[in-house]
Amino acid sequence: MSTNPILKISKVSRTFGAIQALKEANFEINEGEIMGLVGENGAGKSTLVKIISGFDPGFKGSYQINGKEVKFETPSQAEESGIAIAQQELSLIPNMSVAENIFLTGAKVKKFATLNTLAKMARPYLDEVGLTEVDPTTRINLLSVGEQHLVEVARLISREAKILILDEPTAALGEAESRRILEMVERLAANGKSIIYVSHRLDEIFKITKRITILRDGVSQGIQETKDIDVNKLVEIMLGRELANMFPSKADHISDDPKLEVKELWPDGVLEPVSFSAFKGEILGLSGQLGSGAGEVLASIAGALQSRSGSLTLNGETFLPKSPSHAIKKKIAYCSSDRKKDGLFLGRPIFENLTSPALGAISKYGFNFGSSEDNYSRNLAKEFLIDVKRMHDESGLLSGGNQQKVALGKWLSIKPDVLLVNEPTRGVDVGAKSEIYQRMRELAARGITIIFASTDIQEITYLPDRVITFYRGMMIDEHRLEKIKTPVILKEITDPFNETSL
Amino acid sequence: MSAIIENNQLPFSAKFLQFYKDRTLLAILLSLFAVMFIYGIFFTENYLTITNFKAIIRDAALYGIMAIGLTFVTLSGNFFLLSLKETASICGVTFAMGMATGFGSPDLAGNFLVSLLAALAVGVVSGVIQGYFVGMGGNPIVVTLGGAGILYGIGAWWSDNLVINFTRPHDAEWLGTGSFLGLPSITWSFILIAIAAEIVLRHTNFGRKVYLVGANKAAGKATGHENFSMAIIVFTICSVCCAFVAVAFVAQMDSAQSNYFSAEFGSSGDMTILVIATVMVGGNSIMGGYGSTLRTSLGAIFIAMVDNMMVLQGFNSGPRIVGVGLMIVFSIIVFGLFAKGSRAQE
Repeated sequence: MSTNPILKISKVSRTFGAIQALKEANFEINEGEIMGLVGENGAGKSTLVKIISGFDPGFKGSYQINGKEVKFETPSQAEESGIAIAQQELSLIPNMSVAENIFLTGAKVKKFATLNTLAKMARPYLDEVGLTEVDPTTRINLLSVGEQHLVEVARLISREAKILILDEPTAALGEAESRRILEMVERLAANGKSIIYVSHRLDEIFKITKRITILRDGVSQGIQETKDIDVNKLVEIMLGRELANMFPSKADHISDDPKLEVKELWPDGVLEPVSFSAFKGEILGLSGQLGSGAGEVLASIAGALQSRSGSLTLNGETFLPKSPSHAIKKKIAYCSSDRKKDGLFLGRPIFENLTSPALGAISKYGFNFGSSEDNYSRNLAKEFLIDVKRMHDESGLLSGGNQQKVALGKWLSIKPDVLLVNEPTRGVDVGAKSEIYQRMRELAARGITIIFASTDIQEITYLPDRVITFYRGMMIDEHRLEKIKTPVILKEITDPFNETSL
Repeated sequence: MSAIIENNQLPFSAKFLQFYKDRTLLAILLSLFAVMFIYGIFFTENYLTITNFKAIIRDAALYGIMAIGLTFVTLSGNFFLLSLKETASICGVTFAMGMATGFGSPDLAGNFLVSLLAALAVGVVSGVIQGYFVGMGGNPIVVTLGGAGILYGIGAWWSDNLVINFTRPHDAEWLGTGSFLGLPSITWSFILIAIAAEIVLRHTNFGRKVYLVGANKAAGKATGHENFSMAIIVFTICSVCCAFVAVAFVAQMDSAQSNYFSAEFGSSGDMTILVIATVMVGGNSIMGGYGSTLRTSLGAIFIAMVDNMMVLQGFNSGPRIVGVGLMIVFSIIVFGLFAKGSRAQE
């Protein structure tokens, strides 16, 4: 093992306001090495990646490249030192050719060049990432998502990147495409590139990395040799402390009175039709990685995503919601994972957000003179611990946690029978998290059936009474109450078919 | 507990802008009013006369009513109805046809009610059709620009580009040139429509939906308020307002022609530009979700005052239209500055 790491970060910390994203993180990578970077959501992975790639200059600590202390103010400075990042959201231009995308910017760009010249220049880089059969003059949007990822990496290599950061490259990919990415990573490493591989998919981490850096609550937990560690040990290090006290206690038993029956629901992004029941007053968790289909199932129950087939049975009625307003009429509420996009009216006051789904309830003959709306929204606000004094403020001025409380709380106004929540605590600080969990449990105790989807493994272990696991568009298994165990779920959502040992 | 701490951590500048956004824009508008008023008193002949102020309010009423209709479109996030003057044009032709010929049946010729209903019906139909296409996801600018061509073309075709005259006395005089308690009927209509529109926006579910859908279409859909029905309703409201103004204007002129609302005609210049200017000068957000018809009404009076001043100073129509254009640009800049401040927290 080389004793001089090409990149070394020590005792790095980073704070955002009151939140400490990184406390004491150490990281290093050698030449030609594949280093895995893992940690649960919020552990500080993305902060660390941003620091390495120069997006975030505001950290404290030491950052060395080849033993020399460096300080990057912008991503382009990092790029000059040979550090490049392929983000989950690709930065390719869909209507331009592969070759044009590769030479979009950078030192090699000529002022005038024909597409053919660019295509010839692009060839070696495409070969290097394994796109030997792709014509460089093809438009990007004709390639599959996996191939687009490979083009993105080819672009980074063309700029002579020595250290590549791949942030969840396979998150949205199927099996075959993921395999191509892994092959490429191994080939690049063999050619002497250093690769930082960030992934939630532990099977991949075990398949290709030599060493693994584990982050937990902003602290790096030492570097592990991949061959000395197994999945269970890795998960144990990832989770560390007991977090159970943040969560309200589970129900004593699960009612056997099915409230909502989902039959043969088949939205896009799901491999086969899905059927399950949700019982009265339970919290049901749908667990799976991004792209596993858990979120899609939730959205299609709410009518926000079209389903090819299937039906729901709720309160004796069988139907398939065609639109969110149809689902709302049937007392199904849906809180999406992206509150800024379709969860909140950011420019409107908080009270208008809270009563937005239930205008009929606060008005008489379509007229609304304020007093009943005032009471109504105040009660909702109190229930969800939102500051009543701020009711007339724009909701966009609230913090992430309070915004989430508004996005969730507004659904109580329709007195829902079923409450669907996708990622109940994304981008929410710890304090607000536990308040939201508490509230969800209280609502369930009142008889509301709550179904939520989450990629947060702690949430999915400690909050629900029942868990259904999803993997790449398939329903895998179901667990109840005390049988919900983190390692089992983690295994089922990352590697249910024992592909690691293949 | 953490919630309370966070609240106090909001930067003061953000709070300040949030609180004063409304008032600052209003204050700017009101101080401009004052400056112009004082300038008018001291430097313009015949300014401080009752006749002149009646003329200002009368002018403001014409595009004010159309602008109130357009405010619904803009607040709901559907940008603009660009076929404003063309809608008015075809509705005006319809009304004049009814008054002059009774649409072919001599018994109905000169029947005010039939002619009015026919003109309003044309407005409803064109509003519903344009709203339908926008609601289906069409770009409002493109849809209503296409609508403009079609509406104007039909009006010109139908009337053979001729002036349609009907002679006095006729049943529409009370609306065209009549007055009540010293104010022209069109001014009364403006006042009543402005009050009604403000009540609808503030105190009805429909009004709330206009704001919500305008603020965020995706969130509107997720909470059960789809832009499809919204677009149809707001475009219809706007088109009906155009139809009403057209009827009042034609009743005043005792005649109609398809180019009555274009730049080359009349003292008010190009109707579409004037009406859009009115909405913008009032300080309504061009992206929707923020503003009111009260602001639009103030904008209408403001523009009428500027226009009136320029007339009294002896400017002809060219420089006056430049003035209106400058007001649009200015209002967008001012609004942009203040709107940015409040959204910075995202």
